[in-house]
Amino acid sequence: MAKKAEKASAFSRFMNSNQTVGYVFAFPFIFGFICFSFIPIVTSFYYSFTDYSMGSKTLTYVGFKNFLQLFSDDVFIKSLGITIKYVLLSVPLKLAFALLVAFVLTRKSNMVTLYRSLYYVPSLVGGSVAVALVWKQLFARKGLINVVLSDMGLKTVNWFGDQKLALYPLILMTVWQFGSSMIIFAAGLKEIPVTYYEAAKIDGASGTQTFARITLPCLSPIILYNLVMQTIQAFMSFTQAFVITQGGPNNGTMLYALNVYNQAFKYNHMGYACAMSWFMLIVMSIITLVIFKTSKFWVFSEGGED
Amino acid sequence: MMKKLLVTLLTASMIIGMTGCAGSTASAPAAAQPAEAENESSEEAEAEAGPEAEAEEDSEQADAAETAEGEPVTLRMAWWGSQTRHDITVEVIEMYEKENPNVKIEYEFYDFDSYFTKLKTLVASDQVWDIFQLGGNFPEYIDKIYYLNEFIDSGAVDTSGISDAYLKITQDTEGNQIGLSNGLNTYGIAYDVDMFKEAGVPLPTEDWTWDDFADAAMKIHEHTGNFGSSGFTSSEFIAGCSTYIAQQGNVGENSFFNLALDGMGFEDAQMLTPYIQMRADLIGAGASPDAGAEMEITDIENDFLVTGEAAMTWVAVNQFPTIYDICAQEGRTLALATVPRVKKDGPSGTVIQSSQMLCVSQDSQYKEEAAKFISWFQNSVECNNVLKGERGIPINDEVRKALEAEATDGQKEMYDYVSLVGTFETPEKINVLSPAGQDEVVDNYRNYIQQVVAGDITAEEASDKTYADAKKLFE
Amino acid sequence: MHSARTTRKIIYHVLVVVFGFIMIYPVLWMIAGSFKDNSEILRGSLSLIPRTVKASNYSTGWKGFAGTSFARFFLNSFIITVVATLGTVISSSLVAYAFCRVNFRGRKFWFTCMLATMMLPSQVIMIPSFLIWYRIGLADSYVPLILPYYCGQAFFIYQMMQFMKGIPKELDEAATIDGCSKYTIYTNIILPLLKPSIVTTVIIQFYWKWDDYMGPLLYLSKPESYTASLAIKMFADAASKTDYGAMFAMSTLSLIPVFLIFLIFNRYLVEGIGTSGLKG
Repeated sequence: MAKKAEKASAFSRFMNSNQTVGYVFAFPFIFGFICFSFIPIVTSFYYSFTDYSMGSKTLTYVGFKNFLQLFSDDVFIKSLGITIKYVLLSVPLKLAFALLVAFVLTRKSNMVTLYRSLYYVPSLVGGSVAVALVWKQLFARKGLINVVLSDMGLKTVNWFGDQKLALYPLILMTVWQFGSSMIIFAAGLKEIPVTYYEAAKIDGASGTQTFARITLPCLSPIILYNLVMQTIQAFMSFTQAFVITQGGPNNGTMLYALNVYNQAFKYNHMGYACAMSWFMLIVMSIITLVIFKTSKFWVFSEGGED
Repeated sequence: MMKKLLVTLLTASMIIGMTGCAGSTASAPAAAQPAEAENESSEEAEAEAGPEAEAEEDSEQADAAETAEGEPVTLRMAWWGSQTRHDITVEVIEMYEKENPNVKIEYEFYDFDSYFTKLKTLVASDQVWDIFQLGGNFPEYIDKIYYLNEFIDSGAVDTSGISDAYLKITQDTEGNQIGLSNGLNTYGIAYDVDMFKEAGVPLPTEDWTWDDFADAAMKIHEHTGNFGSSGFTSSEFIAGCSTYIAQQGNVGENSFFNLALDGMGFEDAQMLTPYIQMRADLIGAGASPDAGAEMEITDIENDFLVTGEAAMTWVAVNQFPTIYDICAQEGRTLALATVPRVKKDGPSGTVIQSSQMLCVSQDSQYKEEAAKFISWFQNSVECNNVLKGERGIPINDEVRKALEAEATDGQKEMYDYVSLVGTFETPEKINVLSPAGQDEVVDNYRNYIQQVVAGDITAEEASDKTYADAKKLFE
Repeated sequence: MHSARTTRKIIYHVLVVVFGFIMIYPVLWMIAGSFKDNSEILRGSLSLIPRTVKASNYSTGWKGFAGTSFARFFLNSFIITVVATLGTVISSSLVAYAFCRVNFRGRKFWFTCMLATMMLPSQVIMIPSFLIWYRIGLADSYVPLILPYYCGQAFFIYQMMQFMKGIPKELDEAATIDGCSKYTIYTNIILPLLKPSIVTTVIIQFYWKWDDYMGPLLYLSKPESYTASLAIKMFADAASKTDYGAMFAMSTLSLIPVFLIFLIFNRYLVEGIGTSGLKG
């Protein structure tokens, strides 16, 4: 009896140890990672040292040639700058907008559900052809935006004809699709205990004070999350440029992921596309790391990072 | 422990990766050794997850039609196209299956972009469809194409109704039959007759020159405020730039890429300059759309010519009947003009091309059956009465005559135009292929023109850069 | 005082509605476009009222391609999406629990791996992934479209982790004293409190999967197995013609399921807002 109990307790100790619990719960991810992600990732790394192209079946090892070529490739250098500009502008705008709308739409009102649906709809059409057409027509030479501009007595703008301007309609389109960030914020707002607000009310705090002292700190883990994810996703943005400008004019909207697509599929330089991707992976990792490091100063964590 | 695991994993995946690559490297280059390739592909087919359901159906069919000769065969076929094309192609496939009860055709269809993404994955896994459709970008897939030569010799593919000229458009320079063309095509300029008359500009003639073209575009722009010539699509590189080279010197003296496709077909980069300069001048003067306006064109159906904002546009002639009909509904008349020449009596530089073709794949287990289907697809009048030339002008004379008889006005114009181009003197040997990777040259070339318009570089520099880009393809 | 509040309320509603209208204008335009003919769509008319109503776009679109109608495509999409979304919720919450609440060796390493999987463009890992599925003989099936979703999705794992961080550790401790194991803490405490995050996951993942086009393109090859996203794309053939009317009609229909899911689950994000506080 005692032995059995001991055995059982040893088993239960094993089952309840952090190691076991951790690997039991993390198993789906680890399994999936090893089976479906790891090999493709390593393969793409291997390809980056070769001249692999998808049409032909031969493949030669070329060493660091692809990586060196990156630094003399005008299109890549240009696309790098454009991508960074795109990320720096679209991510903060999108997040600010999503947070604002999520916050405004937390009022207790029957209309809120309807309103929130209104604001979520744009995110449901993604990069569909219809949206691409509307966006093109809005910013066309005789499109709505220019009609409004000229009615106001301003000069009309050739949005898609000027490589310095063509990125802005794309940024606007990205910001327009803020829906998923918004509902994540909304879920986060819902989690903030109402007692906090009640206490603040008793202390006579103003609306802005409450927002700055309670809402923002309590929401900070979610803000961090959205910041990291949106930054990564913005680096990977492809659809907007692909459906609207195809990278033009004069590569003015050649986002990095579109450039990878062109190299891999259109120009048949898969090896080079892989090298480009791995270079960008390092860039993104550094940026993500920086965000994580600074997050210690502004993210308030209830559960704590132990 | 962690580290150990990682090391093991790394090695394991490297091995898998390596063998994968080694396997691919080993596959036979092109059709050099057909026998070997055949062995390989049958192995491949065995390895494939067996589609049991089909096998069952096959045996049923075979039972039902005991008279049918041959073992049951399942062919895979794919194409890209529109709703109409999918519907009618499946209709003729069913027709063929009825006539040949031992053959079952599994089909897949996609839009153009999806088709090629899918094809690339199938190339990587050596399971390209038995019968597949390819356009001008086929050199990329040449390793996967099984030439039709032996089937033509054996009579499995019937070429008696197809003229040599039209067989040639899908042959390489060594005379290997890469596939059979689904349709003839060539480039031309569609123009609005009334807009020319309104501006008092003489209508294009068969031998008009680039100067005439530029003059017309400028005059029409000044007179009507419309664009003289609409946007230059991506096909402009072939229709304009590369044709411009072929038009210089004697017939066949120059070409953009050389015949063997391992280098350039002309030596002086500056031969391009007048053309690039003209393009930039037209855009600069507003007689041709700038980058912003060009981006507003999403389809041939909303090209500025069709919307009435331009007097001319570049077309692949199989697009012509569609826009002809749209404009006819609005009471406007479109016509087709030839590509302008450098000199009135110089070479035209234009040739009849294949819009797309059907090919047999190296991976196919039943290459002969696949070839037989292709032969039927191009030669059967009954089949083409359903297809109705939707893929282009048929290459079989009898089929073409049958269709020509019921052609609409727009189609008639197209048929006449293709016959006209067919009479132009062409070099003895032409290369219908373009090198893999040409797209990058084209994209850069279009950007250089924009840079010339913006004044960042000169037309001379743009020519040099384009030449250098193209040359780099062969390094 | 009273009237000032009413005025403010009206201003709030007017602003929200007007801005909302601008937001969804392109979507309304698409719906309007599903009743227009091709030339009207292409002539750049930004009007929401069709010149002539052309309802036949819906019948042309619905009949699909070569005998397979959109009923089939929508059904395929629905099956794949529901099964995959379910998988995402289950697996992601498990993995998030491990990463957030269990201090096991290798945690940081696997977390880093997870973020790394998001940083390579799908274009470069597509072919190697395809080859894996091909070699294990599952390339031409729904498995590659579904199974990976049962292995956790980085975007949602990380999201759930951040929400778990908001759940006080004291709750875990109290539960441990009450005799809960790490396993029952997950089912009895964490999972119920994770509801808003799960709801968000369902809404977003459902849409992403519904809209996914690359996966079905690579892994499905029989027209009867195509999904709606893949079929809609087929109305636009870059080499021949695009039937915008039919495409918009089917895109409009395709919006309905995702919008319904949003409506159903959105309630949980609003209902009793602020009352479900954890420390209440």
